[in-house]
Amino acid sequence: MSSTVKFLVVDDFSTMRRIVKNLLQELGYNDITEADDGNTALPLLKAGSFDVLITDWNMPGMPGIDLLKAVRADAKLAKLPVLMLTAEAKREQIVEAVQAGASGYVIKPFTAVTLKEKLDKMLAARAAA
Amino acid sequence: MSSDPERFRAQVAALQSALDAGDAAGFRHAFEALCGQMDAGLLPELKRITATAQSALARFSAEARLDVLAGHEVPDARKRLTHVVKLTDEAAHRTMDLVDSCGPLVDEASRGSAMLLESWDSYGERDLAVAALWPERAATFLHRTRADSELLRANLSELLVAQGYQDITGQIIRSVIALVDELEKVLGKLVCIADGHEVTGMQRALPSQPDWQRGLGPQIAGISNGDAVSGQDDIDALLSQMAADK
Repeated sequence: MSSTVKFLVVDDFSTMRRIVKNLLQELGYNDITEADDGNTALPLLKAGSFDVLITDWNMPGMPGIDLLKAVRADAKLAKLPVLMLTAEAKREQIVEAVQAGASGYVIKPFTAVTLKEKLDKMLAARAAA
Repeated sequence: MSSDPERFRAQVAALQSALDAGDAAGFRHAFEALCGQMDAGLLPELKRITATAQSALARFSAEARLDVLAGHEVPDARKRLTHVVKLTDEAAHRTMDLVDSCGPLVDEASRGSAMLLESWDSYGERDLAVAALWPERAATFLHRTRADSELLRANLSELLVAQGYQDITGQIIRSVIALVDELEKVLGKLVCIADGHEVTGMQRALPSQPDWQRGLGPQIAGISNGDAVSGQDDIDALLSQMAADK
């Protein structure tokens, strides 16, 4: 079933997008689209039927927190699971992200195990909803 | 060209005669001429004072900014770059450690298949004693290879994740580039002021507050970004607490 989950990975660093993409593929997820900031991600989200959004915070153009808020403000995307994957480590920021509706928060540098754990949790919650 | 006192004398005389003659229009005319001359004398002086004040202000704001840059942000940048060296060093070692640990796994697979081939070839040559070892050797080889392949896959996965240093160091280096850029501008402005050129666009007199909405970048030891978490466990605890408080 996992292979049918459609991911959008948003990060301004292509190395990080590649790392996340490879890890997702190892977990059996092969439908992965990439974007380099919120401005390019949002039209893709609105146009496509993505199941999970994984986004960085600190990006030129539209930062991840604004993308998250835009997603939650869009009736069609409001329930989309969103995982923040970022080096931003201030408590204030994490609280802000959760209050804005982040489904999970993974701090960089991260491990493959952590990413899998948070994804499984998010997907289980999505299946239960 | 007449000197100021002579001009004033003529103008005062004109005022007096217009007054004596009851000539209101003439009086106003003479009065405006007098005021005009006084303004004309004042204006260059006023301009000079304003220019001095402006250049002092520009100099002050440039110097104040330079003070913050030199006293605070340049030392921070040094810490950031030192952190970049540490991260790249760690990532390089982690990568090489993982490569090192993959080597024996591949060697073992190679050794095991060589042994199997030996038994296989012996079967063809009717060396039955060696050929009889085939089933046991094959079973051992398959079990070992399966376990080692899993280890190999896990190592490859870690190798991949270790490359995440490029994102972290990239963010830090970008922040230092922005600092060097600003330093260049402020120093350029100070040189302009020293050379007596007019300075425009000196807007950033005060350091801009870090805008955490846009993102502050990675945490760096010795540079405070306020209250930061120590790692994933800390985040998970915070998230559980927030969920419980709901």
